[in-house]
Amino acid sequence: MPNKASLLGRTAVRTLGLLCLCALLSAAAKVPAKTVTIEAMKFEPQSLTVHVGEQVSWVNKDPFPHTVNAPDSLDSKEIAPGAVWVYRARKAGDIKYHCTLHPTMTGELTIR
Amino acid sequence: MKRSMVIFLSLIVGSAWAAAAGPTDPQIAAIVVTANQVDIDAGKLAKSKSKSKQVQDFAQLMITDHTGVNKAASDLVTKLKVTPEPNDTSKSLQKGGDDNLANLKTLDGAALDKAYVDHEVAYHEAVISAMDKTLIPSAQNAELKALLVKVRPAFDAHLAHAKALQASLAK
Repeated sequence: MPNKASLLGRTAVRTLGLLCLCALLSAAAKVPAKTVTIEAMKFEPQSLTVHVGEQVSWVNKDPFPHTVNAPDSLDSKEIAPGAVWVYRARKAGDIKYHCTLHPTMTGELTIR
Repeated sequence: MKRSMVIFLSLIVGSAWAAAAGPTDPQIAAIVVTANQVDIDAGKLAKSKSKSKQVQDFAQLMITDHTGVNKAASDLVTKLKVTPEPNDTSKSLQKGGDDNLANLKTLDGAALDKAYVDHEVAYHEAVISAMDKTLIPSAQNAELKALLVKVRPAFDAHLAHAKALQASLAK
């Protein structure tokens, strides 16, 4: 029959483990997503490198909609003025994208 | 270039404004709002009449983008408590826009498409020139100037798109 002291000890270890896990999860959640700002008809930065699993946010600061589009990989649909489109990088590669509404706007996403 | 464009450009570039202090912020606001609305109205007419998907898509882009710019301009002047002041240039713009609409209403098919796109090329060239030579340099309020600078690339993109469409229609 386990005594009181060993029960208390196991509880303490479990509690400590849970606290450590919470701290780790909290730290991971605070890592900001990479951001591309869409403004004055440009993607800034025009070239961005991220790692597989990272999130990228495109923020539209122009007064009209834009899109982020690359065949078979990126399709934001219309991003309204003030809106954000978030994409999680899935597999490594170089993606050249553009705005379907304003084809002179181009950008590049490199996923490592 | 159409006569209305020549009138507009000469009013902006060759007028007393170019030599003196330039238009005031309320006058600039009226010019900007009118310039955008003229293109919105032309876009709506072209989109409703044209049978070409390319022309319809371009017209929709003009409607969407110029509506957005007008909203941003209107929000800003409201915030700044500036009342747009109609002036010779804004009135000339409106007249030119009305004349263009009257002309487009008489046309159909390829003739409509050509007339609309040709006008869009000339119009955006005139507006960009006016922004560079008069509106941006004359704007006194920093936020108004910043908005004009920020939206200018959109007019460049529209001009490039209109020219490509013009070339495509000429084939």
